[in-house]
Amino acid sequence: MTTRLTGLSRRSFLRSGAAIGAAASLPGLAMPALAQSGLPDVQSVLDQITVDKYVREDYRKLYSMSNEPLWDPAKDWIRTVDWEKVRTELGGTTVRFAIGAADQESAAEGLKPFELLSGIKVELVPIPDDSIYDKAIAEFISGNASFDALQFFSAWLGDFAAPGFLAPLDEFAAKWNLPLDDFYDTYRLNYGYVNGQLVGIPFDCDIQMVHLRKSKMEQILGGPIDLVTSVPTYEELIRITAEANKLGGGVAGIGMLGARGFWSTYTWEHVAAQAGMMLFDDQWNPTLNTDAGMMGLETVLALSKNAIEGVSGAGWGENRAAWLGGQVAANISWQDSGTQAMRPDQSQIVGDFVTIYEPRIAGGVFAPPNIAGSTSVVTSTSQNKEGAFLMLAFLTTASIMAMNEANANGVAPGYKSVLGNERLRAVSQPMKVWAASLEHAWCSPRLPGMFEMEQALGNEINRAITGQITAKEALDNGQAAWKSIMEKNGFKGGSGPINYADVAPGLYVGAGKALPF
Amino acid sequence: MATPNLRKAPRPRRSPIMRRAFPYLLLAPAVIYLLAITLYPGVFAIYQSLFVVRFTSWTWTGLGNYQGILQDREFWAALWNTFVIGAIALSVQTFLALTLAYFAYRDPFIRGWRIVYLMPMLFMPSAVAFIWKLAFNDGRVISDILMRLGLIERNVDWLASIPLARMTLIVADVWQWTPFLFIIFVAALQGQDQEIEEAARLDGASWPKIFWNISLPMMRPVIVVAVTIRGIDITTMFANVFVMTQGTPGGATETMSYFIYRQGFRMFNFGYASAASVLMLILTIIIAQTVVKRAFRSGKN
Amino acid sequence: MAQVRKRRSDGRLLRYLILGTWALVCLLPILWFLSIGFRPRTEVITPQPIYWPTFSLDAWRLLTSDWPIALYLRNSVVAVAGSVVIDLILGIPAAYALSRYEFRGRDDIGFFILSTRMMAPAIVAVPIFFLFKEIGLLDSVWALMLIYAAINLSLVTWIIRSYMLDIPKELEDAARTDGASDLTILREIVIPICLPGIITAAVIAAIFAINEFLFTLLIASTSRAYTMSVALANFTGGSDGIIYNAIALVSFIAFVPILILVILIQKHLSRGLTMGAVKG
Repeated sequence: MTTRLTGLSRRSFLRSGAAIGAAASLPGLAMPALAQSGLPDVQSVLDQITVDKYVREDYRKLYSMSNEPLWDPAKDWIRTVDWEKVRTELGGTTVRFAIGAADQESAAEGLKPFELLSGIKVELVPIPDDSIYDKAIAEFISGNASFDALQFFSAWLGDFAAPGFLAPLDEFAAKWNLPLDDFYDTYRLNYGYVNGQLVGIPFDCDIQMVHLRKSKMEQILGGPIDLVTSVPTYEELIRITAEANKLGGGVAGIGMLGARGFWSTYTWEHVAAQAGMMLFDDQWNPTLNTDAGMMGLETVLALSKNAIEGVSGAGWGENRAAWLGGQVAANISWQDSGTQAMRPDQSQIVGDFVTIYEPRIAGGVFAPPNIAGSTSVVTSTSQNKEGAFLMLAFLTTASIMAMNEANANGVAPGYKSVLGNERLRAVSQPMKVWAASLEHAWCSPRLPGMFEMEQALGNEINRAITGQITAKEALDNGQAAWKSIMEKNGFKGGSGPINYADVAPGLYVGAGKALPF
Repeated sequence: MATPNLRKAPRPRRSPIMRRAFPYLLLAPAVIYLLAITLYPGVFAIYQSLFVVRFTSWTWTGLGNYQGILQDREFWAALWNTFVIGAIALSVQTFLALTLAYFAYRDPFIRGWRIVYLMPMLFMPSAVAFIWKLAFNDGRVISDILMRLGLIERNVDWLASIPLARMTLIVADVWQWTPFLFIIFVAALQGQDQEIEEAARLDGASWPKIFWNISLPMMRPVIVVAVTIRGIDITTMFANVFVMTQGTPGGATETMSYFIYRQGFRMFNFGYASAASVLMLILTIIIAQTVVKRAFRSGKN
Repeated sequence: MAQVRKRRSDGRLLRYLILGTWALVCLLPILWFLSIGFRPRTEVITPQPIYWPTFSLDAWRLLTSDWPIALYLRNSVVAVAGSVVIDLILGIPAAYALSRYEFRGRDDIGFFILSTRMMAPAIVAVPIFFLFKEIGLLDSVWALMLIYAAINLSLVTWIIRSYMLDIPKELEDAARTDGASDLTILREIVIPICLPGIITAAVIAAIFAINEFLFTLLIASTSRAYTMSVALANFTGGSDGIIYNAIALVSFIAFVPILILVILIQKHLSRGLTMGAVKG
């Protein structure tokens, strides 16, 4: 289900227990008025942003985590930026940050250190989680948005950027040395740049992966699971999930997201990308029903025969619950299926699963899909663009993102320095495969209208999954819907509000690269 | 009965006009309030349906939305779904309620038990939807029970087939609202004239025969009114769909309410959603004028 | 004679069987759902359903710590109580007019009032959403109050009307010859006698109002206006997925007060629901 759009911002950005750790507030720091003179010593604040303070106690104990950083301090923006300079230039100003209403309190907590470090006051503007999209657009259109900064589901970047609602951040990124290079290309290019301009800082950096239950699959495969060779193709995945489906005991072969709307679209994109599917040609014609697209959908349909009951109604919430509850022997879902399942308070399958390298399809490519995710932006009507930028840089900084990952709260880092950190890898099972996969990631372009398009296509794919129409009909219908939605959004005669040439490099960053195994 | 002690102060003689106007004045606040809440949206919906609305940009399209809707497979599907699911649910709960009422109304014990029969009705519809979502889909409890009873061998995929998915919605609705009809029918039966029953019993008639030939026909007005009210509510089924299926499989459980919601608040086609609303409104008015008014009249008699 | 007696006892067995079965059908899902509310998260979704879970107050802790449940409850109570008050203020005079007076258009007006119940929420949802957005009432308990009142006014009017129909005309005539004005009659005779009916109507309206889902979903967006019926949706979208045990607990927090109310007016409930279509 995950009916409301809170499902989209399925990562609660600063959910309590997220950036802060269950032991909420920072000890020893009073909350002073933000006069320059009242600001505490920078280092003392930074010293509070550490594993001991931010990561949940039960997890720290479970993995015997020291207070050593789970990131590279040289790439951690909050520890490299000159806070005194920030305080001098922008101290005393205010930034208005639009936040999902459910996250208000934890956001306030999470931003206190920023206020102390920068002298900038943050005002939270709560937006109902399921209205972020339309509320944001309404505010943008009104020409006077009531907020300076916003974090949102990255698929909407096109809708927000194309009409010029977002402020370019290139200047600020250069001035304050934002470590853009530390981002994996797929996130930097797709969540950050639109038409050659930097308008967003990637926040929740998602990727979908394939996860297997050891206890079920090892008996079928006849031995321990090798991350590369055990399930090298989707054909093999179909075979073993069919076997797993016969095991009984309430366990189904595989879990997938097959619900109406964009969930089905994501599943299809995931598999079809491995078949070599690209969504558009360079004239912005949708190319959904190509051979690769068809191959992808047919594979999905084959897998759905081995899937858990209710797959045609499974959104992220249902799929996650089924996986963590031990109801499926394999799962096609985001990387956090591989981390959250490690945590005993959430999962029935601790220690009984592994995340493998993306299986391939003959004639296709190795293209682990970068799907969903979220990004953070500054509005073009903001009166304090620089302050807003600094706040976003704080929220997305490597250390905080690394600790989000350690807390397994679903917010994922996209930094090479973080995903390569050995200590973090020790507490995040999929990280090695995940990091290697990102160099080859596939991604869909962020176009205006993409949100609608994903839903329309997903409804058709759902009909195919439930056997009401054929795969060909589904993709044909989807393609027709995409054409008409794109026309509504200004795509005509091969060009539109987004330049294909600017987007092209981010669509498949693995092109031509050697496999990581 | 003695009349209460009323102020005997002299009061101004009311003019005949005031006398005549009085009932209208009594009704005025209620009617005005309802008009405001129903008329305004109706007019607004009609107006908005003539535009393609993309947030704050309204582009005139005349009957374009209506054209689109009438050609929209999903619209007709939603209409059909609402009808099928609603009709089946209504029939099942009416039948169940009548059967239970027949067995219950003569029993003195029932009075104490009554609250148990009422309980499903007192839950929030969204809560009931979650109960059955968990029981059928996520928790697979129903499948498990059926397996233990030996009736099936594997878990059932309730969302994979159209009849089964619709059935889960129907079960949720029937479970929650049969008590509503039940309690009305029981009251109706208990309120019927005892003498006719007694006379029939003395003649040697069996209870079932009495029910069928006497009680049921006498209950007809009540049945009509109750079923009409429930029927009206069923056509607006939303919470169950929203929570349990979201229209799956492939839109076969998408009711009109959900369709309108989705068009307006997921696809942000407000003009389109308004057009659907207007069509729905027209349909409702037609049904109201024909079916309901007739039922209402006969019910009053 | 013996034959008749035998038949009756057979009938009784069948009767108890059927009624007992239905009682179980009503009760078991409720009890099971209650058990969901009091178990740890990891025992809700499992490969095979757990019928004897371990007891846990995790859901309670989650509710009281992370979510302003008291606030939601307050919003529910305020919106519902307010809407019931509005309904009574508007509905009692209307019911009085419809029941005691003959005037032109009485049936049509009465039918209009009844027909507003047919206004499908989805039809009016979009316009109402825009309207409230314009006047700035979005995300406020007042908006909910107004909507619930509108939805239930027809019900309240008709229930009270049916009770008023039963008041013997002589009572009123006597009072009128004593010189009382119509309003006084309404206030001092009719209302007190109809009090059971009024209370019944109020409770029924409250039940329907607290259950309202679609409008609340659209209009309420923050804890300022969230009510219990939509608060459930909170537990389905965040990074924790669907939190069933919390959902179950919230459901019961809303259920218990209504149950108590209904137990108190049990006697009158059926009468109210039949709306006087039946004598007695």
